Amino acid sequence: MKKEYIMPFVEATQNVFQDFFGVTPELDTPYIVKKEETSNWDISGIIGIAGESKGVIVLSINEQLVTALTSRLVGRKITTLDDDVIDTIGEITNIIAGNSKKGFEEYRLKISLPSIIRGREHTVFWPKQDIPILSIPFSVPEGKFMLFVGLEKKITGDILT
Amino acid sequence: MGTADRTIKILIVDDSRIMQNILKNSFDEKEAWGKTEFLTASDGEEALVVMDENTIDVLLLDWNMPKLDGLSVLKKLRQTDKYKKLPVIMITSEAAKYNVIEALKAGVSDYIIKPASRKILIDKVKGFILGES
Repeated sequence: MKKEYIMPFVEATQNVFQDFFGVTPELDTPYIVKKEETSNWDISGIIGIAGESKGVIVLSINEQLVTALTSRLVGRKITTLDDDVIDTIGEITNIIAGNSKKGFEEYRLKISLPSIIRGREHTVFWPKQDIPILSIPFSVPEGKFMLFVGLEKKITGDILT
Repeated sequence: MGTADRTIKILIVDDSRIMQNILKNSFDEKEAWGKTEFLTASDGEEALVVMDENTIDVLLLDWNMPKLDGLSVLKKLRQTDKYKKLPVIMITSEAAKYNVIEALKAGVSDYIIKPASRKILIDKVKGFILGES
């Protein structure tokens, strides 16, 4: 799998988690999603990509981890997926997407405003078009989360090899 | 800019309330330029309303926002004599070079890529307030 395709997203994610929560997430092994996966994600931040390539970036986290991280950020104990959690996930997804663009300057990507999906153990369904979905798993001491990146094959090229 | 005898007004424009607070809290130590009031707006349209009602010393402006984005706000401001020289620092996740160039062409005073370093933010704001930039 091509490292130069993955690293802009990895670096952006590690950077924003370090800044917001004081923790640098460890990268686990990325893989291409073969079909929709059942998972325990409770909240997802979604950013659409436009420009000279199209795609989507999704950050998915479970309730236990996201409330623990957001509690640290805002300095109060959070126990539910409240407005502060939604705001935090939206902003983090926005920063990951915006920062990652510098790895793909020639495609002049544009990013949408974030949308948030909140729902216990939800599944994300992906576009049926020719867009490979890359799962980039991360872990922090309190748990695991996932960054999904889907960009048209003109960018992703031979990442499957 | 004479700063000793008046309150400096900094307008923070960002659609994330969390980010508004992070930016505001970056200044929680005693500022070198004296008393400071922070105003906030959650989109570009609200920012222009706040600016109509207040005299702003420094504008901290996000790019991606609903209703009116930061770049459009910047372009509108630079078309008026009143705001031609207002210090506008864009604070955005947009890290691509073509984004920075677009903002510079539109007349931005400075550009900070999120996550914003607290030290860089304070140094840049201080520079504008004390007339060093």
